[in-house]
Amino acid sequence: MKRRTGAGRSIGVALILIWSLGPIYWAIKTSLQTEADARAKPAHYLPTNPTLQNYSALLSGNSDIAPQVRRSAVNIVIECGAATIVTVLLATLAGYAFARMRFRGRNVLFYAVLATMAFPAYTTLIPLYRIMSTFGLVNTYTGIVLVYVSGFVPLATWILHNYFASLPVGIEEAGLVDGARRLQVLWHLLLPLARPGIISTALITFLFAWGQFLFPLVLSSDLSTQPLTVVIAALQGRHVVPSTLLNAAGVLAIIVPAALALAFNRYIVNGLLAGSTK
Amino acid sequence: MLRSTRTALLAGVTSLALVLAGCSGSNDKKAGGGSTQTSGVTITVALASDAPPKAALDAFTKETGITVNWVNIDWDSLQSKISAAATAKTYFADATNVDWSRVGQLGKLGWYYPMDSYVDTKAMAADVPQLASFTVDGHVVGIPYDASFMVTTVNTELFQKAGANPAPQTIDAYTAALKAIKAKGVVQYPLNIPFAAAEGLSTYWYETTGAFGGSILDKDGKPQFTSPDSPGYKAAQWMVDALKSGLVPPGNINVTDSQGQQNLMAKGQVASTFSDYSGNVGTLYNVKKSSSVVGKVKYIRTPGASGPGANLSNPDGIGIPKQAKYPDAAAKFIEWFTATQQQADFAGVNGPEKTFPTYPIPSHLSAVKQMTAKGNLVGGEDLVPMLQGSKPVFEGGAPSWYPKFSNAVYTNLHGAATGSMSVEQAIKTIADTADQLASGS
Repeated sequence: MKRRTGAGRSIGVALILIWSLGPIYWAIKTSLQTEADARAKPAHYLPTNPTLQNYSALLSGNSDIAPQVRRSAVNIVIECGAATIVTVLLATLAGYAFARMRFRGRNVLFYAVLATMAFPAYTTLIPLYRIMSTFGLVNTYTGIVLVYVSGFVPLATWILHNYFASLPVGIEEAGLVDGARRLQVLWHLLLPLARPGIISTALITFLFAWGQFLFPLVLSSDLSTQPLTVVIAALQGRHVVPSTLLNAAGVLAIIVPAALALAFNRYIVNGLLAGSTK
Repeated sequence: MLRSTRTALLAGVTSLALVLAGCSGSNDKKAGGGSTQTSGVTITVALASDAPPKAALDAFTKETGITVNWVNIDWDSLQSKISAAATAKTYFADATNVDWSRVGQLGKLGWYYPMDSYVDTKAMAADVPQLASFTVDGHVVGIPYDASFMVTTVNTELFQKAGANPAPQTIDAYTAALKAIKAKGVVQYPLNIPFAAAEGLSTYWYETTGAFGGSILDKDGKPQFTSPDSPGYKAAQWMVDALKSGLVPPGNINVTDSQGQQNLMAKGQVASTFSDYSGNVGTLYNVKKSSSVVGKVKYIRTPGASGPGANLSNPDGIGIPKQAKYPDAAAKFIEWFTATQQQADFAGVNGPEKTFPTYPIPSHLSAVKQMTAKGNLVGGEDLVPMLQGSKPVFEGGAPSWYPKFSNAVYTNLHGAATGSMSVEQAIKTIADTADQLASGS
């Protein structure tokens, strides 16, 4: 019976791995091929004549593509980094307040913040665009970062609320008894304890921001603010799709999030599970 | 997936805009308040294209005092941006792409200035055959800058190997030639039809319907394809039969138009694409890097029901959104960008230094003739008469509900191809959708 269970689990794990890693493998394989090899029939499951020409074209080629990729890579790091910092800062304060402070309407406000997560992103696109336009923030880092922050703060607040709620109240009370103010208690006592939760919130926010396409597409007009995801989409022509180049660009785009996810997967899982058990 | 998501977004944003336009009770909105200044200004031009040569833009600036900020965005993304900016009544660019398929929507929504207020479009009409595709209710929404139209391409070598006429004049002769190619084992599947549920399948059906001697919708948007004797019905049946009888590769169920052209036609795996893109011989099939059929693919006059059929237009145009900051300056740019002489320069007629490398076929017939005379257009002598006789896909311009209609077309034709429904059911569903949309429900 145990052997059967073990075999079933192995098959299940194998299927999940194929399902998850298969497309990534195929993207890497295609990125190492020429267009002719990639379109050969029957398909090659291994790159027969591997080449780095697509990566070379993207990173150091003579065409306009390399400068666009480099600039958009800088843009995406700036936008995701800034959005992560601001989101974590705001969510830390909000999460703490909702978890620990008693004030009228606390629960209503908290659930109202959480409820915004239920709105499809598309419904807020036009109003946000109009607001950003009114304030002259279209095609600026500030505009894109503000939109990201507005989208990610509710989830971050929820994660950190659960984290703060799971910390023993006694530590905080001891600090208050010793004469510390609320912010001092938060800064000196709670934040060190909540560091894993803050790291996981930052990672989740950064990864979500990295995958954004629609909002930066609409809110950025040119290379001064376009992130990598938008520039990759622009590599395809209307009638011609350079599949190997697109796959190479896709592989480059997933390096940073993949590295973060692999290095810090424990934090990400903990963050998503925060508050799920008592 | 990405494309369908973006198409859904585009449809969603446009639907929202249509509802808002309907609620406002008037489409005759006043201009967006842009400046009439035409000198010393910088305009933004957003097209799904590389920028023209810097020297050409500099010359335009010197001549007019207008500086051009060129923004190149892929076509799908550009449509989303146009819809989002117009719905939010927000400036995005002074001149943008106007695609033939969105002319009805843009006209109804009043998102663009009528170009006939700025340019003598009547004088232009004789030399720009596809201007009709951009005209709604007597107003021109955009000026075509390329002359894209649907053509039939054949791999002459494969036809000749089978002893078939590489320039069949009728659908019957064309079908017989394809069957001969298959029967003689020249290639296993001679015909490319992109049956993936995507826009390319819709346009393929429109062109095939035209070849069978009919049209899809009448001027009021009523479906013309419900009877089994109608050209539209016959075209759908012919396409599905071609798949079921083994003329089309079975894998084409999931093949889009560009995939079929790049992976099948350019590799010599199929012998013909009935509805191909004008210009593909020069830009794809005769390019050694991406093709193994260099010099073998030719344009032929579209085989029709009883003789050569028409070629339907699917060109790109350029227009001025109502939120433009400098509409008059944008109009000056459009006039310059779409002028015959400028198009001839871009197309390489007057030397490489003036050439715009990725420029498509010019929209002015006279510029195309100049290209052909100088040998700059592969198959030009075949394309000129086709362009001259090209027709709009929809007689009264693309309807405002075109994206939803096209969605119904490709979804149901794809369903008929997979066998999940019959051609009859697919046609009925498409017709019902058209009736509902045309009646405003």
